[in-house]
Amino acid sequence: MSAAETVTLTIDGVEIEVPMGTGLVEAALVAGIEIPVFCYEPRLGPPVGACRMCLCQVEPGPPKPQAACTLTAQDGMVVRTALTSQVAADAQNATLEFILVNHPLDCPVCDKGGECPLQDLTFRYGPGNTRMTFPKRTFEKPIPVSPLIALDRERCILCYRCTRFSEDVAEDGQLVAVNRGAGTMIATFGDEPYRAPFSGNVIELCPVGALTSTTYRFEARPWEIQDVPTVCGMCPVGCNVNATTREGKVKRILSRNHPEVDDGWLCDKGRFAYAHLHAEDRLRDPILRVRRRGFEEVSWERALDEAERLLRESDGRIVTALSGSETVEQAYALGKVLRRGLGAHTAFFPEEMSDALDAFRVPLSAIRDADVVAVLGDAPVVEHAPVVELWIKEARRRGARVLYELDEEAVRSAGKAILVWCGPGGHGGATVAALAQRLGASGAFYIPDTANGRGVCDAWSCSDDAESPSPDPVGLLIVSGDEAAANPDVRALAEKAERVIVISMFQGLAAGWADLVLPGTSYLERDGSYVNLEGRVQRLRRTVIPPVPDELAWISKLAERFDVELSPYPSQVFEEVSGIAFGGIPFGEIGDRAPLPAATAATAPIEVPPEPTQNGGLRLVRYRPLFSGPAVDRVRELAFQRPLPEAELSEQDARTRGIRNGEEITIRSNGTSVRLRTRLSRELRPGVVRVAEDFAGDLQPTVEISK
Amino acid sequence: MSTYYEEVQAIKTQYPNWRSATLPALRLAQEKHGYLSPEALRECAEALGTTPAFCEAVASFYEMLHLAPTGRHMVEVCTNVSCALVGAQQVLESFEQELGIRAGETTEDGEVTLRPIECLGGCGWATVVSIDHHYRTHVKPEDVPAIVQELRSGE
Amino acid sequence: MASERMIIMAGADERDLTKLAEYEAVGGYEALQKARAMSPNAVIDEVIASELRGRGGAFFPTGRKWSFVPKPDQNPNPHYLVVNADESEPGSFKDNEIMARVPHRFIEGCLIAAHAVESKSVFIYIRGEYTGPYEVLRSALEELRDRPELRGDVTIVLHRGAGAYICGEETALLESLEGKRGQPRTKPPFPAVQGLNASPTVVNNVETMATLPPIIEMGGAEYAKLGVPDSRGTRVVSISGHVERPGNYEIENGTSMRALIYDLGGGIPGGRELKAVIPGGSSTVILKGDEIDVGYDFNSLLKLNTAMGSAGVVALDERCCMVQLGIRISEFYEHESCGKCTPCREGTRWMTQILRRLESGDALQSELDLLLDVCDRINGKCLCPLGETAAIAVASYVEKFRAEFIAHVEQGGCPFGESSPLHDVVAPGAMHLHSASSAVPA
Ligand SMILES: Cc1cc2nc3c(=O)[nH]c(=O)nc-3n(C[C@H](O)[C@H](O)[C@H](O)COP(=O)(O)O)c2cc1C
Ligand code: SF4
Ligand code: FES
Repeated sequence: MSAAETVTLTIDGVEIEVPMGTGLVEAALVAGIEIPVFCYEPRLGPPVGACRMCLCQVEPGPPKPQAACTLTAQDGMVVRTALTSQVAADAQNATLEFILVNHPLDCPVCDKGGECPLQDLTFRYGPGNTRMTFPKRTFEKPIPVSPLIALDRERCILCYRCTRFSEDVAEDGQLVAVNRGAGTMIATFGDEPYRAPFSGNVIELCPVGALTSTTYRFEARPWEIQDVPTVCGMCPVGCNVNATTREGKVKRILSRNHPEVDDGWLCDKGRFAYAHLHAEDRLRDPILRVRRRGFEEVSWERALDEAERLLRESDGRIVTALSGSETVEQAYALGKVLRRGLGAHTAFFPEEMSDALDAFRVPLSAIRDADVVAVLGDAPVVEHAPVVELWIKEARRRGARVLYELDEEAVRSAGKAILVWCGPGGHGGATVAALAQRLGASGAFYIPDTANGRGVCDAWSCSDDAESPSPDPVGLLIVSGDEAAANPDVRALAEKAERVIVISMFQGLAAGWADLVLPGTSYLERDGSYVNLEGRVQRLRRTVIPPVPDELAWISKLAERFDVELSPYPSQVFEEVSGIAFGGIPFGEIGDRAPLPAATAATAPIEVPPEPTQNGGLRLVRYRPLFSGPAVDRVRELAFQRPLPEAELSEQDARTRGIRNGEEITIRSNGTSVRLRTRLSRELRPGVVRVAEDFAGDLQPTVEISK
Repeated sequence: MSTYYEEVQAIKTQYPNWRSATLPALRLAQEKHGYLSPEALRECAEALGTTPAFCEAVASFYEMLHLAPTGRHMVEVCTNVSCALVGAQQVLESFEQELGIRAGETTEDGEVTLRPIECLGGCGWATVVSIDHHYRTHVKPEDVPAIVQELRSGE
Repeated sequence: MASERMIIMAGADERDLTKLAEYEAVGGYEALQKARAMSPNAVIDEVIASELRGRGGAFFPTGRKWSFVPKPDQNPNPHYLVVNADESEPGSFKDNEIMARVPHRFIEGCLIAAHAVESKSVFIYIRGEYTGPYEVLRSALEELRDRPELRGDVTIVLHRGAGAYICGEETALLESLEGKRGQPRTKPPFPAVQGLNASPTVVNNVETMATLPPIIEMGGAEYAKLGVPDSRGTRVVSISGHVERPGNYEIENGTSMRALIYDLGGGIPGGRELKAVIPGGSSTVILKGDEIDVGYDFNSLLKLNTAMGSAGVVALDERCCMVQLGIRISEFYEHESCGKCTPCREGTRWMTQILRRLESGDALQSELDLLLDVCDRINGKCLCPLGETAAIAVASYVEKFRAEFIAHVEQGGCPFGESSPLHDVVAPGAMHLHSASSAVPA
């Protein structure tokens, strides 16, 4: 619908002009008028008109009050809300009385108290007293819907937001309403937990204290807390979040809706993994290997002396293994010290990155509006960039064709086609960029493995221009961050290195194999910037003071010792990088809802080496599951989200082999074999088997399957 | 399993959308399992290609679908106004006496479940009693013993 | 002396019209041939000329409803005809008998309607409890299977409900037919534009369908000569409760209600006084015994603020306690509320609670006012008419029999007590709460 067409209507005497198709609730806001709602939430799809909180007088229309949330602005419409219509005021008052008739009114002990729409609306529109003198409806409570979510059915006002999210947004069909009438209640199947990657969103959707976070319950009162705006560092999407802190501790993570990036949704990893900050094995002091006596904790002064010594002794024969979770500033700082100070140019990147994609840069929200979305690469999007999966689902609900196998004609002929690459290969995005160029797609995404892999590459490469051959043998290996420390290839490299420095948050990852361990910090503890998979530069804020100095602080100290000029302030370092790599966007502009840099002009034909072709057998795609990694491993409440021992199979491959959903199958490749339950997937092309790392064992890339 | 599975696939083809097969699939599952046990709901979900939670959500909305065990026979006495006006309550009570259970209960031997039910759409032929979903009309308290006899003798 | 006027039920007393041969012997399916010889629009015009209005309760002009359906060239989606055979309104049992005794006339009507709205696919949503009529329709459709010239290229699917009054409401019915919980949708969009699977859909009642063959046969204008203005033709009326000869009677619209009850119904048994009459099923405003000298038609009943609804006439004699009636009706709506919208879900439960206390004699005068206020607060605020009609019906008992309600308060108990047939009737009520999912995750 072209935004050009507008309609003019009157709300409480105020005449306003809004685009055609604007909902009455939104239209009222334009006039500065609030129409109270509970069940209405446009992100959940078409309005349902269930709660009846939004009743207003609307002309033309029937004499009785209308649910404003279900109506769109029409020319000449006259709307009267509770402000100017007694009918509307009485109707809203009635709705609130009915909602409260069976509500326990236990606000003093309710987590929602103080930030509760029901409290606020009752205060503004509700009856002052109760005329209910009968026993209220009671339910067993609170009920753990999962280890993450508690349900209080007595507080529930049955707005159906949570169940609509489960059915119509996440499409997991796990949280439902059962029974009917006054006996209706929210439930999962039997006593199974709500086990799905986006379950936590229902906590934020609930307009009352019915669905609460088990990790936040009774942790704080709204007037004691402070919300710090930052971005999630758990995956390359970079969802915008608020970290709720109390007394210097992160208590919960909430969405901070960036309509182009996350539309206000978070995955449970981003929402609940913050507890890793308080992991038992969190390192608080540097650890030094000392002859015979093994390891000992040392002061930072001593640690930096040792670091300096190790750096100098290795006379440039240094390799730096990066994690892709460093901030841009941190990676740049490391690069500047090592490269300018010691001529140590060799870095081991977590993954390949290509900037060919910049010519096809569009916001993630563009997926929603596409006619065709081609998801290539065979790895599950939800496991690598969860929120992208929600954008794809919404595209499908809006009628887009979603392909999991390239259909060039479909892409070419589509008005708006978006390509998404998720999986092994892909040359850092060059492959999908070349495809987009050849087929005339309107946008393309490459989903990297790491949260800031892009930013780290850019930062490192612009920290100096000089090059040098990779050293052999390696004198010193610097392992920057937990992902690098957990990476087998890096471990292998360490075997061959004479000396090793590890920067890590956790004892469990760093201890034993390093000559010097420098305690690291989390994305929730650092100031700086991340670049997400769109190429959007976003501000990371220090939400709490880390128990150890953050990386930039001590790297800048180290820099002095090598006469490299390096500011300890992220703002200044950023300006330096931005000048070279980000077209000079100022730090100030990436803080709130960061803008997406314009796509670069499409260049000469993009050349890419062909992807390996499959010869016989099935292609095994093994992937790192969403609920894994150093942070998740340290959050007990997330354990139940671990992947199940399953193998995903396309319906076609299953049919030809007579395999049924849920059946056990054997997957084998020369010598080794594993036995897993099959899960048929409509989102997998024939010829591919998909298994989480955890269960893939030593299987080779080409496998055979049998019952 | 397979026959049920195939039956449901066949039902799906009658409709423009697989979901429309949900009620028939639940009805079949109930006939097969006696009631909609968790296993029955799982099997139904498998056949429909949806989640057990979805099946339970739908099933629990409808009066004729049972999520808890019921007797082999179902005796349902309409106690809505038209039937009540001509003695439905007395009919219900004589069933209670004959069966030795209260309305809403199932006999010890698991043979018969007795329950009152809303208007069965036979108001002119009151009292209407639905026995295993077949209507008996003009039922009077004195007819009850014979009916129970019939059920017990397992016809 | 009032008499029946058989159009829909014509021939059913003389022959077994459940048999295709018998039905054809009385000219069955000739109207269908006639209709198919006409253009869809011509058929719609005939039905408009007949002034036929829906027999399901809303009394909406059938031809008009059909004319709202976008033509295939305007909307390429398949067009659906959905027949509402969910008859569950307390007091109504007409569709039951129509399907059981003249199934072919009903099916012929469906095929005529399908032709008119250019639908190739008909779904008959029949209430789950109706095993009898279901079997009859199934064998009737069996008989049509090897009569392609009658069936044409139309498929008819019998879809059985599973016990939920609300599924009679057209949008709830569509949700249920789509395999979901039977909760009403907000309108607009209306089914004619976005119904089954968001495609153009006409929802019509069983009797409406069964009336089509006679209309096509005799011509719309001729049909419109029957009955009275705004209420043309005949109506199958269900008479029950305290009458000598309860049952379904097909009458001309406009026949006096006294005649319905005393001539056709044979009057009140035991020479008792008629106290009240529910004129059109439980959802309609009640009439006092002395308000029945009125024609059974839309306008006459409108003057008394009530309606023909689904033509379920329930007679109550002098022994009946109106508070007890209120409880039983309120319990029904509480039990059948889908639970989607707040006023109905919470309000009907509250109504029952107040009414119970009134009956027990523990209520204060103020609680009688509270009851009326609760009804008033439900009425006009709900998503669908179920909650509204619950409030309107119960409020009408109070308004018309106020003295009796006040007596309950003043005497501290029920003046009728056990002598009222509605005393202590056990309703399904609380028995809907399945416990399967109150067991919960550890
Ligand atoms: C709560 C409720 C229950 C209803 N039950 C029925 C029913 O059982 N049968 C029916 O034909 N219409 C029923 N209706 C009316 C339908 O919504 C719809 O108006 C009707 O089926 C349209 O068909 P008609 O135009 O031929 O009357 C009900 C409406 C409501 C609000
Ligand atoms: S009025 Fe009652 S039945 Fe209708 S939508 Fe509301 S809750 Fe459901
Ligand atoms: S907000 Fe409109 S009905 Fe709930």
